[in-house]
Amino acid sequence: MEKRRRAVGWAFLFTASAMIFIFSFYPMVSALITSFKTGSSANMKWADPWYNNYLRMFKDKTFIMSLKNTFLYLIIQVPVMLVLAMLLAQLLNNPNLKCRGLFRTCIFLPCAISLVSYSLVFRTLFYDTGMINTILMKFGIIHENIKWLGQTNTARGVIIFALIWRWTGYNMVFYLAGLQNLDYSVYEAARIDGANGWDTFWHITVPQLRPVIIMTVIMSINGTLQLYDESVNLTNGGPAGTTMTMSHHIYNTAFQGKANFGYASALSFVVFILVAILAVINLKVGDTRD
Amino acid sequence: MKKLLSLLLVLTMVFAFMAMSGTAFAADDTLTVYAWDANFNIPALKAAEAAYQKVNPNFKLEIATQSGSSDVEQAMTLAGSSGDLSSLPDIVLFQDHFIQSYVADYPDCWVDLQLADIDWSDFGAEKLSYSTIDGVHYGVPVDNGTAIFAYRTDVLEEAGYTIDDVTGISWDEWLEIAKEVKEKTGFALLSMDHSGDDLPYMMMQAEGLSQWRSGKPNLVGNEPFERIIEVIVQGAKDGTILLANSWSEYCDQTIVGNQTAGVMNGNWIIPTIEQVAENSGKWALTTLPTLDGGKDGYAANGGSSLYITGNCKNVDLACDFLAYTFGGGEGAMETYDNALRDGGVITCCISAGESEVYQEGVAYFGGQAIYSDIVDMGAYVPVVEQNDYHYTARTYVGNAITNIINGGDLESELQDAQDQIEFEMG
Repeated sequence: MEKRRRAVGWAFLFTASAMIFIFSFYPMVSALITSFKTGSSANMKWADPWYNNYLRMFKDKTFIMSLKNTFLYLIIQVPVMLVLAMLLAQLLNNPNLKCRGLFRTCIFLPCAISLVSYSLVFRTLFYDTGMINTILMKFGIIHENIKWLGQTNTARGVIIFALIWRWTGYNMVFYLAGLQNLDYSVYEAARIDGANGWDTFWHITVPQLRPVIIMTVIMSINGTLQLYDESVNLTNGGPAGTTMTMSHHIYNTAFQGKANFGYASALSFVVFILVAILAVINLKVGDTRD
Repeated sequence: MKKLLSLLLVLTMVFAFMAMSGTAFAADDTLTVYAWDANFNIPALKAAEAAYQKVNPNFKLEIATQSGSSDVEQAMTLAGSSGDLSSLPDIVLFQDHFIQSYVADYPDCWVDLQLADIDWSDFGAEKLSYSTIDGVHYGVPVDNGTAIFAYRTDVLEEAGYTIDDVTGISWDEWLEIAKEVKEKTGFALLSMDHSGDDLPYMMMQAEGLSQWRSGKPNLVGNEPFERIIEVIVQGAKDGTILLANSWSEYCDQTIVGNQTAGVMNGNWIIPTIEQVAENSGKWALTTLPTLDGGKDGYAANGGSSLYITGNCKNVDLACDFLAYTFGGGEGAMETYDNALRDGGVITCCISAGESEVYQEGVAYFGGQAIYSDIVDMGAYVPVVEQNDYHYTARTYVGNAITNIINGGDLESELQDAQDQIEFEMG
């Protein structure tokens, strides 16, 4: 009986492992091999030298631009979004607030919308003669239509704004869940000891939420480095490729026009390595154990 | 509940398999084809099917509608890369600008048309230059990408001009007229989707010139090209050329949204112009301006042709079908007449353009017989050097234009674009 149960266990384990291997690890290794190759996908040859695709990146102005853009989004969007999410979570965790459920739902709702459709809606809003410009004109705030998506800085701003709108609620939910697990008596004790709201937040809430914060930071960094939908659908990388993200560039290299799978695979590995490095740093910084 | 779920799962899988095998194992007189535009090329294929059924009553054309031309390109890439052609249909509709590189990269995916009885001299040379590789014909042209310049005659009139005043002029004259139109009426005189800017390409072709020379990008020090870029930049600065940030902004805001009194593009843009019912009778078509003026400019932009794939089991039937219908055979007149009626597809088969349907005036364009005009214009489009990296060049030239408008230096921006194109090629 015991033996049979063990066999069944192994059978499940084996199937799951085999599937992970076939559908996840094998493609990764295969992509790594492809990244050392060049030529049309029907007839790929080893690159010369074999790491040529990786050298190529340093000369690829579009890639360097997309790298800069992605990090710009990362540096501005992630902190703003997480601070906002924390703020909202604190507000909505207040037990005396009326209609809490309604507010929570409203703030989480953007996450239920598909990435492509919200990007398209944002694009429509920010057309030269779109709703935003029309409203601003009506109220006399501006006198000439702003080319939101036609200028580098405003276009980047629109993408960051869209990202914050889309993802703040998502992170807020994690913080809310974290806050609800905290023991209320600790706060009472702190209040008796004379701590104000700011003190309790920094010395009680933040330390106890540390694992949740680390998780949201890693997820946000990971998500931003792989940013694709907004770049493609909201600005299509424009103007002049100045809002393009790394994933968008990889897609273009692999699937637009003449397919270059070797170089695209090499680019994907760079993104993979960057995500790994940032995640490790994050874990190390967040880890307070000696 | 679980049982029900698993039953459902099994059923969906069975259906999926049945659907797959349905297209893969078609009956003898059936051909499958991939195409992508339900309002444009699919009605044309249906017209061809109906025409061919008159001589072959058992014939059936199964049209698998794709969401866009890139779906077909990706299907070919997939089949060509894996070496497994079984997923391909018998015939595909394919973009002209991509076919050369796809035949070079995936030779097994394509079957040439040496077996087809087609009189190639009945087609415009420019159109055939795409689908002919090393002197061998691979594709049968479907639509005609001849570029048109459409103007709102009522707006021109308000500014004191007629359609004749904007025909055969130089771009400098055009810029002056456009400025006046803008001041007097508020309308721009041209717009383009700047995320895929075809203006430089069409304007160069109207000169009989190319952005390519012996397989290399030829931007820096190419004087006519630099002058063309200056025209676009000047127009954009004057507000007479509207550069939209996306395809939908180009169509919905600038054209349908009544911001521009001029549209220059492949003639497939006509259905977009016609979407505004209240402007009926106010539009007219003419040729393109050129740099030095005094002559008519002719160009073409974006067309596609039908190709037989390496998975076609009945090449004889496919050749016969294509030759009889789109290839200028006995069914060509009927095919193209109905393709025009149902989908607005204009032929580039010269003999089919002589049909009566083509001579009819179109009320939307003030009774002008635009279709026969377009077929006539198509015969004059000059053949210019093409390159597999056409769309790469389009992207970087578009970027250069954006940067120049924002204050960049023309020479260095073009050098940058040329470097980038060469980088992607190398």
